[in-house]
Amino acid sequence: MKKGLALFAVALVLFLSFGMGVSADSHTAKVRVVHASPDAPAVDVYVNGDATLENVPFKADSGYLEVPAGTHNVEVFATGTEYAEGAGVLQADLTVEAGKAYTVAAANTVDALEFVVAEDSMEVTEGKTKIRVGHLSPDAPAVDVGLIGGDAVFSGAEFPGITDYTELDPGTYDLEIRLPDGTQVLPLEGTELAADTVYSVFAVNNADALEVIALVDYEAAASPDGMPTTGLGTPDQSNAPWMLMLGTLALFGASAVVWKKRFQE
Amino acid sequence: MLIAAAIVFLGGCGQQEDEVSKRTENIDFVAEKPAPVEVKKPVPVANPINTVKREGILPTKLEIPAIEVKSEILHLGLTETGEMAVPDNGEEVSWFSHGYQPGENGRAVIAGHVDDLEGPAIFWDLSKLKAGDEILVAEGDKQLRFKVYKMESVPLDNADLSSIFGYQSSPELVLITCAGTYDYSRGTREERLVVYASLIEE
Repeated sequence: MKKGLALFAVALVLFLSFGMGVSADSHTAKVRVVHASPDAPAVDVYVNGDATLENVPFKADSGYLEVPAGTHNVEVFATGTEYAEGAGVLQADLTVEAGKAYTVAAANTVDALEFVVAEDSMEVTEGKTKIRVGHLSPDAPAVDVGLIGGDAVFSGAEFPGITDYTELDPGTYDLEIRLPDGTQVLPLEGTELAADTVYSVFAVNNADALEVIALVDYEAAASPDGMPTTGLGTPDQSNAPWMLMLGTLALFGASAVVWKKRFQE
Repeated sequence: MLIAAAIVFLGGCGQQEDEVSKRTENIDFVAEKPAPVEVKKPVPVANPINTVKREGILPTKLEIPAIEVKSEILHLGLTETGEMAVPDNGEEVSWFSHGYQPGENGRAVIAGHVDDLEGPAIFWDLSKLKAGDEILVAEGDKQLRFKVYKMESVPLDNADLSSIFGYQSSPELVLITCAGTYDYSRGTREERLVVYASLIEE
C-alpha cells in the first residue's frame, strides 16, 4: 500500500511537470529600419537574401520586425533594382540579441550611405515619459535640443549620432532645435509627451530643409501574472467522481489482497 | 497488478479526452510567410511628435462573422490571484482593461469561455478560425477590423504572458479561451487557445 502511494505520487509529479519549458518568443529580437538619407531614392531591404521591406521612402520607418537572435546580412537596394547578393547600395552584418530592440537607420547622402544602429529602450518608469534624439542630417552642425528660452535637454548632438534616453515628466513642452550659440534651427512648440511612452525624435534632411521624424519605441501597459480561466464547465461531471471512487475502491481491494497474502504466509 | 490498475485509474482522472481537447489538438498555424512590408510615406504635419501615438477604443462589442459570434465586451482587470479576470457567464467576453486598447500599438486581449455548465459557450468555435478571418470590435460607431494571422494552443505553464499581452509597433488583437484536456487537480484545462490578429488599416 505504501509503495502504491509512493508510485502514485511519482506519477502525479511527472504528470504535473509535463510540458514545462521556455517559450520560443524569447529567442527573437525586434528591428526597425528608418530611411534617413535625404537624396536617396525609395529602397527595398533584404534580410539574408529575402525581400523584407519594399519601397521604403525617405522619412519612413518599417515598425518593429521580429527577427531571430544572431547575425543577419542586411542589404539595401534602390526600389526596382534586381536583387543580386552583394550588389546593394548598402550592406552590413547586423548582430542582434534576443529580447532586445534596435533601430537601423540608413543615413547620410546617397554617395556616402551608412547604417546608424542604436539599441532601443523597451521600458519606462511608471508615470514618466522617455525621449532621445538623433542627428541624421548629414550637413547640419552640432545642435542642442531644449526648452525655448530655457535649458537644453540634449546638448551637442552631432551627425551621425543618436543620444541616450532621458526621462521627463509627461506634459507639453515648447522645444526647439538650436545651435549651441542659441540660434534657433527648428521650433517644436507644443510638443506633447505622454506618460508611459518612449520616443525617438530624429532630425533629418539637409540643413537648409531640416525637419524631424518621430517614432514611438515603446508604450507600457500591464500584463497579468496568469492566463484567464476560460472554461466554466468540467467534462463528464457525473463520470469524474465515479472514476475517483472506483480508483479508491480498487486501491482498497489491492491492499486487502496484500493483507490476505500476509495472513496466509 | 491491482495496485497498478488503481494507479492508472487515479492518474487517468487528471486528464480526460473530451470534445474540447479533441477540437484543440493540432490547431496551431501561422499565416504563410509574410509578403514584404510595403512602407507608407509619412504625412507631413506641423509637429510630428504629437501625432505619432495611435489612439485606441474602449471596446464594447465583439463580432466574429466566420463563427457567428456576437457579444458584449466587459472591461475586467485581474483576479485576486493576479490572473486575467473573465466574465462569470458563458455568453459574454472580457477585455483586459489594464493592458492595451484595441487600436493602440500593442496587443489588446479579449477572453471568453469555451464551455459553461450547460455546454458550449461563446468561444466554443474559436478553434475553427482560419488565417484571414475577420474580427470586429467596436466602441459605439467606431469600429476596428482585425485579421487573424496566427493560432496556437499553449500549455498553461509555458504561456509567455509578456508576449501575449505585450507591446507591438502596430495594433493587434488577441483572443483567448481554454483548450486541451481538463486537469482535475488544477480545476482548469491544461492549455489556452490563443488567436492573434492584426489591424486592417482602413
